[in-house]
Amino acid sequence: MKWNTIFLIVCTMLGIFLIGCWNARELNELGISLVMGLDEEGDDILLTAEVVDPSFTQKDGGSVGQGGPVKYVQGTGCNVFEAFRDVVLKFDRRLFVSHNKVVIIGEDLAKNGVAEHIDELFRDREQRETAHVLIAKGAKAYEVMGISSGLESIPANYISNLIKNIKENPKAMDMNMIENLKHFYHEGHQSIMGVIEKRGIGQIDKMVEETDIQDYELSIIGSAIFDEGSLVGYLNGNDTKALNFIMDRIEGGIITFPTPDSALGSKSEFSSKHRELSSVVIINSKTKNDVKIKDGNVVLSTKIRLRGSIGEVVGNIDISKEENLKQMEKACSKSIEEGIKTAITKVQKQFGLDVFGYGLVFHRKYPKKWMGIKENWDQVFSKADFEVEVKTDIIRTGLINTPVIRKKER
Amino acid sequence: MNNIGKKDRVSCYQVVLLITVYEVMTRLTYLSVASIPPANQDMWIVSLTSIPYIILFCSPLLYLGNRFNNLTLLGYANRIMGRILGKIIGIFYTIFLFIGLMLLLGVLVEILNSSLFPETPTYVTASIMLITCIYISYGGFKNMARLGEITIPFVIIMIFLFIALGYKNYDFKELLPVLKDSTYKQINAGAINIGIRFSEITILAMMTPYLEVREDLNRIFFRSLMYSMGISILIVVAVQLSLGIEFVKHINFPFLTFTRLLALGRDIQGFDSLYIISWIMGNVIKISGYLYFTTLALEEIIGRRNQDFIIPVSVIALILIILIKDRRPILAATRSMQRFMFILSVIAILIIPLIMLVAYFFRRNSLKQGKG
Repeated sequence: MKWNTIFLIVCTMLGIFLIGCWNARELNELGISLVMGLDEEGDDILLTAEVVDPSFTQKDGGSVGQGGPVKYVQGTGCNVFEAFRDVVLKFDRRLFVSHNKVVIIGEDLAKNGVAEHIDELFRDREQRETAHVLIAKGAKAYEVMGISSGLESIPANYISNLIKNIKENPKAMDMNMIENLKHFYHEGHQSIMGVIEKRGIGQIDKMVEETDIQDYELSIIGSAIFDEGSLVGYLNGNDTKALNFIMDRIEGGIITFPTPDSALGSKSEFSSKHRELSSVVIINSKTKNDVKIKDGNVVLSTKIRLRGSIGEVVGNIDISKEENLKQMEKACSKSIEEGIKTAITKVQKQFGLDVFGYGLVFHRKYPKKWMGIKENWDQVFSKADFEVEVKTDIIRTGLINTPVIRKKER
Repeated sequence: MNNIGKKDRVSCYQVVLLITVYEVMTRLTYLSVASIPPANQDMWIVSLTSIPYIILFCSPLLYLGNRFNNLTLLGYANRIMGRILGKIIGIFYTIFLFIGLMLLLGVLVEILNSSLFPETPTYVTASIMLITCIYISYGGFKNMARLGEITIPFVIIMIFLFIALGYKNYDFKELLPVLKDSTYKQINAGAINIGIRFSEITILAMMTPYLEVREDLNRIFFRSLMYSMGISILIVVAVQLSLGIEFVKHINFPFLTFTRLLALGRDIQGFDSLYIISWIMGNVIKISGYLYFTTLALEEIIGRRNQDFIIPVSVIALILIILIKDRRPILAATRSMQRFMFILSVIAILIIPLIMLVAYFFRRNSLKQGKG
């Protein structure tokens, strides 16, 4: 009995300490991928991965490894997994994708349907459901990879930081894999994804050695609209901001609007000078969506409550006066309302797809009626009337009150 | 079982912990409520509605357990039904517990292979888990309960921690509309389906003679039911809010996927590893319990001490699990497996106890006079 116990203890201890050795993969055997691109090449899938080059050190200017801190590897296959395994015959390390921050999908692949190609990204335990998804606007995924016009030397960090900056400027869409899949499954809410676009940049420093990479920067402004998993179009930055407002995904950013011309005694509500635009910094925002049925017609309703701080005032207005501050609030609200109305109208007329999620609200409010119209909700949405109501509270004015240009009355 | 000494008995608190974690582990692994009607946003209501059904379905065994609190389930089956029928019932419950043991082991191996050791062969993962469980079972029920007293609070605290950390991912609108897309019939059908799977009542029925205060059986049952269902409903709601209903239906291990999304700030991630550790701890306790009570059932049928059966039963389980697991996934093929387990549970929890209850009422007087 005593020997049996000792035997069992030894086996248990060995088991605990050695089981991990079975699948052990040392760091020097892995190619750590940070960004993954998926494209369509004929009937095949082309996978591009940005892999960290551990031999690169910044201390000696990268002299140990050739090139930059990352390398790019590609593989093709009939599906994503085959493309992954194709890489191992060209690249000496096995791709390790647990650190993938971003998945970029080429426009061609997105147009032909993303949903059927993302199965592997959820089935494989190494993949992270929290990776951000972006559509390469007007390009292949590999065409936008490798560009880093920021201070980050690793392009993945550059893209990741751009996504992080969305909370400062919500003209872009931050959507990760799991959120995208949830939208895909939701009835009454078409999928949307962020976009990434390669843009040429004006040359500032003529002394900088010209390379292809340095001529470009990346922009993530806008968003991509999907119909049943296939890309159908894009929204611009302002429409994307409106979309973020309706989906209650605003964490910050600014609202720019025509400065009320109260000080000049103009009868018009807003200044005729279009250059006189002021900005409010969003502190927080709360959106409440509703759907009503009026005389048999569906009416979409959005109410937004926004708290902000004056960011910039261009124009002759004394915001230290209560009535002028109220005018600023009104102007800010009106600007948001117009932006949202423009976005809804555009989506209704151009795409006819409910990307805002009003269908979900309809389902919650009228569950029985939803059963009858859920199959053609997008048609109902595209013909629906809408109401937008924004209430702005400016709670801070910054370090100064009246604009610098205006002299204070005695 | 009359001769169980006071020093071998376990406290009410220890048994409540064991039964709670046994049930929570089932919910944590399968989230079966997502795959039974109505399988929509009302699935937490289905879980809640299942509580009265569980009480109803478990009441025959609970009643008999109170009447014969110095005997195990097999012991009073023998007394009520007679020698031959009692033995047949005993064999059925032994097979039932053994299938439970195999299923638990198979699922444990499947999760470990899917989440941590994809290339480790089944026999290695299963052997290591079984060796641990054999060691625990050899220690007897008292030691198992003591081990549970230390580890189960950790497992439960971890579950609460994960649920709290997932707050940022919650979309409370996933719960709406409430009771609009499901019918009364669907909710009740789902609740009955859940209720009939409360197989832990058979384990409790085997534990009864080990209780320090045997009269506490009802208290233990109700406490462990409330605790386990409370935690289970929290798990269902957290997963539903975080992943959405449709995606939950697609996932083999919903709570594992839920923990993969957790993050503290931008940098602290990888809570799934912590979950796997606590999940293994909970399951090792559960597998050890099933192994122990399978051998205890064999002790009552064959008449040899249960420790003699621990290694043979484990070896048979290991061989079978290797044969099954290397051919087919257990969790992906849920429909056939769930149907099979459902039928077994109906027989084990409802049909046999009801037959025994009827027989008890007919033979009550003769049993009192000691003729049984």
